[in-house]
Amino acid sequence: MAENISMTCAGGCAKVVLSGRLDALSAPALQEELKKLIGQNIEALVFYANDLEYISSAGLRVIIFAKQKISAEAKVYFIGGREAVVSVLKMSGLDTFMSIQPTYNG
Amino acid sequence: MERIERPATREHLETLIDFALRCAETEGFDKETLGQIRLACEEALVNVVSYAYPGKEGTVAVRCSPALAGGIIIEISDQGIPFDPLSLPVPDTALPMEKRKIGGLGIHLIRRIMDDVRYQRVDGRNVFALTKLLKK
Repeated sequence: MAENISMTCAGGCAKVVLSGRLDALSAPALQEELKKLIGQNIEALVFYANDLEYISSAGLRVIIFAKQKISAEAKVYFIGGREAVVSVLKMSGLDTFMSIQPTYNG
Repeated sequence: MERIERPATREHLETLIDFALRCAETEGFDKETLGQIRLACEEALVNVVSYAYPGKEGTVAVRCSPALAGGIIIEISDQGIPFDPLSLPVPDTALPMEKRKIGGLGIHLIRRIMDDVRYQRVDGRNVFALTKLLKK
């Protein structure tokens, strides 16, 4: 597993902690991690982004991939993202399918 | 006007991006805008190192010059296969995620961030010019 990603999965809820830079260099490792969730009956996918400094289109693609391949019905949350990161999500329209919020209770 | 040229590989991405950002900093952009310019440059350069030279080696150049109206013009060029990034279809960011095509997001971000983007094929080079103006 890449050093800037950690993932836990319990009771249909997968929590993914992102940190550092999610770019063309680091995105493939995240995609490999998320592939493990395919077919696991995930109801909620929660990205914790408090320590995420930067996201590029490669990172956005992995999040879209997750939504499309893991479960179309799963709710996706993006928690604690910094303003610069959230603005990139909004520019790309990812805020239309996932809930961007400061904290997550679950 | 400043210019650097490096092999078109991922290992050189940071050097090329840092060069563009140093130029932008000199033009007086704030930290937030520099972050956006970094993203635009990275998207454009990742495209070049990923697709410009299929099966062979080549170089990519970054040239910076001040924009007349105040700001910066960052020109990214290569001698790879002719490719106009602006010819890519604009992604429909309003589509529900299940129907979203994975692709075209990088160029979409570049268009959103920069004030002007132009592509030209000149003397066997792809020249992609990104302009960011200083906010008055």
